[in-house]
Amino acid sequence: MNKLMNMDEAITRFVHSGDMVYLGGYGCRCVSSASHEIIRQGLRGLTLVRCSLSDETDWLIGAGCVSRLLTSIVSLGVGMGLGAAFRRAMEQGIPNKVEMEDYTNLSLPMMLMAGSLGIPCIPVKEMWGSDLLKFTSFLGKDKFKIISCPFTSQSLMMVPAINPDVAIIHVQQADAEGNAQVWGMEGDCELGAKASGKVIVTAERIISREAIGRDPNRTIMPGFRVDAVVEEPWGSHPLAVTGFYDIDQEFRLMYREASETIEGFEGFMNEWVYDVRDRPGYVAHYQEKYGIERLEGLKAAPYFSPSVNYGY
Amino acid sequence: MWEWSEDYTPEELMVVCGAREIKDGDVLIVGSGMPLIAASLAKRTHAPGCTMLLESGVVDAQPRRSPQNVADCCLTPGAASVHSFFEMMATHLQSGHIDIGFLAGSQVDKYGNINSTCIGDYYRPELRLPGSGGASPIGCLARRVLIMMRQAKHRFVSRVDYITTPGYLDGPGARERAGLPPNTGPVAVISTMGLFRFDSETKEMYLESHHPHTTVAEVIENTDWELKVSPAVKPTPLPSEEEIRLIRQELDPQGMLRRVLR
Repeated sequence: MNKLMNMDEAITRFVHSGDMVYLGGYGCRCVSSASHEIIRQGLRGLTLVRCSLSDETDWLIGAGCVSRLLTSIVSLGVGMGLGAAFRRAMEQGIPNKVEMEDYTNLSLPMMLMAGSLGIPCIPVKEMWGSDLLKFTSFLGKDKFKIISCPFTSQSLMMVPAINPDVAIIHVQQADAEGNAQVWGMEGDCELGAKASGKVIVTAERIISREAIGRDPNRTIMPGFRVDAVVEEPWGSHPLAVTGFYDIDQEFRLMYREASETIEGFEGFMNEWVYDVRDRPGYVAHYQEKYGIERLEGLKAAPYFSPSVNYGY
Repeated sequence: MWEWSEDYTPEELMVVCGAREIKDGDVLIVGSGMPLIAASLAKRTHAPGCTMLLESGVVDAQPRRSPQNVADCCLTPGAASVHSFFEMMATHLQSGHIDIGFLAGSQVDKYGNINSTCIGDYYRPELRLPGSGGASPIGCLARRVLIMMRQAKHRFVSRVDYITTPGYLDGPGARERAGLPPNTGPVAVISTMGLFRFDSETKEMYLESHHPHTTVAEVIENTDWELKVSPAVKPTPLPSEEEIRLIRQELDPQGMLRRVLR
């Protein structure tokens, strides 16, 4: 089944105010363009889920789309520090109060795994002794439970399964049915997609079903589990996509600086989100402002893998 | 024998101290910045058989530039293996295969508990910090934890505002009572001013050596509790000229380390 559609239609049909949304990406393959479309559509009350939430979360929080974070860490990374919009929301309730349930880069993937397995909870061997157990947020008593292991009688820390309403993942390539292929760092993308009710795949390029079959081990999400496919070159910018383009640190630093004030944040959002229609419009604006050379300069150098023989 | 270098920055000495804690054959989990450079330095000098893991899912990264963060795409080409948080945190760390974890934070206390979550009240924070990321599980489950921090009175506090990553909690036996595996926990704190270890009886942090550009009195002044000092306290051995050359010319040619910490 052909599930190709544009970003506007994918977000309109599959993401709704109040949803729990899994956002794929970690340093690379971030769902930047999908986040911009969510902001343009003015969705509210979202719960964002992922380990290591970053730039997209800061934009979504600052634009007032977010009520809750189910995550392990929110940071723009080394040398960039905390997102200013995240801090304004957490410390001053601007533009609205955001609740955060603190987990870790171990427990959260395990919770997504439990969600993907269709089981209610899963044990983890961490958090003991930490204040992650002392303070809970919107999950209250359901943040964790301690039970006795039925086999060893030892205490087990159980964390609940997460099943987001919808996952959005950005991948290197997919076919029209949604068979989605990635390489490079995975973050918790595969688990997040497999745990979610609906799945939107956005891809740097659309390839044929035949081309998918040339390297089927690279598929992290088979098409039968996917609801929408969007072809979206430069969809992760200013974050990277392995094999396509590098991180645009200069652009990120510009946002970091602008977002220090509410006016600066709004100016950035007007220029790069509200005043452009879609990602092609964003790329066109970037080229107009900074020149084609700067965009070209981000493109990945070749470092090809030798092909493998799938024959028999 | 190498010549000792008088020309070093505090951050470079921290990296050298971190490298010296690594034994040949260790399996390490590191973040970008100082820990990555420290591990790379150990690998290039006395510990060629150590294996470096990044929590982003990369084993034995071969970056050709200073990575911006642990998820920088430059960490992928040339690596031995690239996967996910799940693989790193669950199948390597939780299952007990990590010897050393490098951690940082905004506050550390005398029992080596680390805060990277909030300053002030959790629900109404004066300063909301990023959160645990991989720090808490690394601090729970790695056999030896090394903490690298800038020294300041508001960072070296008697009790952290929030225990993101458990050290020795409130003293001997507390980790085990809380449910953490035996024979784990912090073994050293490396700051911009000194090297600290933990007393085997009391589990309290003490000063083992002060960096040559500081004095014991200065370290005490920049610590918010009555810091115990080793009777054998001495200046931290200087980095060698070869170590400084490796850092500046090969491991961090872009000077990321020097920029990030300013």
